[in-house]
Amino acid sequence: MLEIGRVCMKIAGRDAGKKGIVIDILDENYVLLDGEVRRRKCNIHHLEPMAQSVELKKNASHADVLKVLGIKEDKKKSTKKKEKAATPRRMRIKKTYAEPKKEKKTAAKKTEAPKKVRAKKK
Amino acid sequence: MAFKHRNRSFRKVLVKLTNSVTTHYKKRNPAKAQCGRCGKELHGVPRARAVVLRNLSKTKKRPERPYGGVLCSKCMRETMITKARAY
Repeated sequence: MLEIGRVCMKIAGRDAGKKGIVIDILDENYVLLDGEVRRRKCNIHHLEPMAQSVELKKNASHADVLKVLGIKEDKKKSTKKKEKAATPRRMRIKKTYAEPKKEKKTAAKKTEAPKKVRAKKK
Repeated sequence: MAFKHRNRSFRKVLVKLTNSVTTHYKKRNPAKAQCGRCGKELHGVPRARAVVLRNLSKTKKRPERPYGGVLCSKCMRETMITKARAY
């Protein structure tokens, strides 16, 4: 019933409700599927054949299958990493505010602390 | 005021301490999740208060398939088949 080029919908699992095309027939029970679904071997009982069928070579590439189905490849899945910003925000804050605060605290403690102690002893 | 939790809407839970056993009073769990179509009990959906569920990851709260945690697998499969045949 299933032949190469048959459009199917997956019925079970996390890819359920997604369309795919049969690329290869592996076994009595198993078939290679590609398209909206992940390119994987798939049990026939987890498939529902649809009316449409397409001319495709055996083991056609993922790009070819998507062309036939009229799907554009997701740009989100591109593996390029984002470049980091030149200076992260935290560094900027430290440079402007950290240094003057430290100086004030140390200066104040030195002057105030010894005076109080002397007063109590007397 | 001390015994305000001692009623039937709360459940007794025995808690072991080092030397003794004390009773804690805990709110009862909500009902088991059911399929929206056939009413069957759903697998893979935890039965606990919202406080506990809040700390679980999304994948631990429901099965990872379309209609997971709403329909049972059988009903989901039937809806998908009708969808495929309607194309």
